[in-house]
Amino acid sequence: MSVSTAPSLQLTDYLEKLPGTTFRKLYQQPSTAFAIFRRMLPQLAKTFVMRMLFMPKPMLLHDLELWVRPDAKRQKDQALSILQAFHIVHITAPSRDRPQEMQLSPNFKTSMRLALTGGGTHQSFGVPSNLTVPTEIDINFLDRYAKKKWEDILHFVVSSVGYKSSAEANGPNKSVKELIISGRLVDRRPGGGIGITQAGFTFLLQEANAQVWTLLLLWLEAMDNNREAGLEAVDMLSFLFVLASMELGRAYDTNALTEQRRNMLPSLVDFGLVHVPHHKRSMFFPTRLATTLTSGSSSSLRSISEGVTAATTAVQTSGGPLGSTEKGSVVVETNYRVYAYTHSTLQIAVLALFCKLTSRFPDMVAGRLTRASIRQAINFGITADQIIAYLAAHAHEQMHRTALQTAKPVLPPTVVDQIRLWQLENERMKTTVGFLFKEFEDHKEYLAIAGFAEEIGVLVWRSDKTGMFFASKHEQIRDYLRIRKKAE
Amino acid sequence: MPRAIRGVLVECDPAIKSIIVNIDSDNHDYIIEELDEERVVIKENMVAALKAKLEERLAENHPDDESGSE
Repeated sequence: MSVSTAPSLQLTDYLEKLPGTTFRKLYQQPSTAFAIFRRMLPQLAKTFVMRMLFMPKPMLLHDLELWVRPDAKRQKDQALSILQAFHIVHITAPSRDRPQEMQLSPNFKTSMRLALTGGGTHQSFGVPSNLTVPTEIDINFLDRYAKKKWEDILHFVVSSVGYKSSAEANGPNKSVKELIISGRLVDRRPGGGIGITQAGFTFLLQEANAQVWTLLLLWLEAMDNNREAGLEAVDMLSFLFVLASMELGRAYDTNALTEQRRNMLPSLVDFGLVHVPHHKRSMFFPTRLATTLTSGSSSSLRSISEGVTAATTAVQTSGGPLGSTEKGSVVVETNYRVYAYTHSTLQIAVLALFCKLTSRFPDMVAGRLTRASIRQAINFGITADQIIAYLAAHAHEQMHRTALQTAKPVLPPTVVDQIRLWQLENERMKTTVGFLFKEFEDHKEYLAIAGFAEEIGVLVWRSDKTGMFFASKHEQIRDYLRIRKKAE
Repeated sequence: MPRAIRGVLVECDPAIKSIIVNIDSDNHDYIIEELDEERVVIKENMVAALKAKLEERLAENHPDDESGSE
């Protein structure tokens, strides 16, 4: 069973890995400073930033304690560590003769002031185009466009298995496909096809906003490894933040962009973040996928189709998880039958990953969970828990109602248990790669070396009776053996 | 000087282990060392092949469950 080790990337993890110099560059752009402030900081950290923003001099770290109630010390420390991780505040090193001081880092302070009070000629929130906008391009058009592009991408992630969708013919651009493959969201399988990986399934379960970021970060990393393309990750990232601050439905001037950023546009078009009209190449429209990049940061599970809908049609006000108001569509019965009231081909394709679908009606599909279908899913690297989580997150409201009335879990426990058992069945042997050590000169040598292996934590199994042991690594043991030989 | 042999430790229940030994008995090209009732060390490049063979053997004993009511 091939389990992908690539974790799904998150913006926070990515940013925290960047060095301080990168942050200094990023913060030269007011839009970036503002976006990080808006999306990445918890409320308390925002409060700190706002109170310190117009202070002429550094403040004493000690004074911060006056701002926060003693019982909220944990939240305060958390906020401070985030601010430091993003290089927003700078705290002087502790020393005996001077108390510790803190201040906002200069670039962040300047940019943040500019973002809030206006002024400057930084143009970092985009330059609107003066040309007349083609009449057919309105917000509805852009939403449909973005939704189509993004669904194509999601289709590509799922379409290769089970249910054959028509997306293959007009799926996403080749470069996007390559990106998804190199990001290990899907695997090339022997026989020319591709199949979803565990990381890919995790990707599907994310809400749309997190999905967009996952893909964008994959792109940034790919560009970082490929210098020849002439794109620099820092500038790309700050351009994404610029896009995020733009207004939906408005045309922006392509010629006001640097050449590097103009080169990014084709890829952004492929992702559905930007629309460039065919006959007017000098203007571009950010879509809702782009303008919502920095709003809301909930990472709750949400249905794929609704995730897209929420990102592409709903109003932008929502910051919190919408899970409770969404309508689930999947009914699971105790006899392993599954009914899904949906006409989204995407959701059907996801179900087909672990369900044996038997019939399809205009707005409903029916199928069964079988041993074979679950095993197939597990072979793709999807875990039983992921399947259960998916079914639970998409349970039809009737399932919730019945569960509430009878005070029972939403999904039938027999089905949940059986899915887990089917997974266990597939893991009949546990394998560990390593080295078998045997034929020791005497039992004393065996005991000493097995003892050493145990101490350094590489010992997997030992049998004192036969004088053999199995270790996961051998380098340190080899060195230890040499030293022992010399000592004799 | 002791010997260190590269391989993969397989831990499973005795029933599975006896199937593995049985698979190996044809050509003796899987197992490096039988350790005890629940453990064998096998060659690293044969893991995938062994898993496939094991699946095959198990499938023989598992009637297809697709025949249930649809």
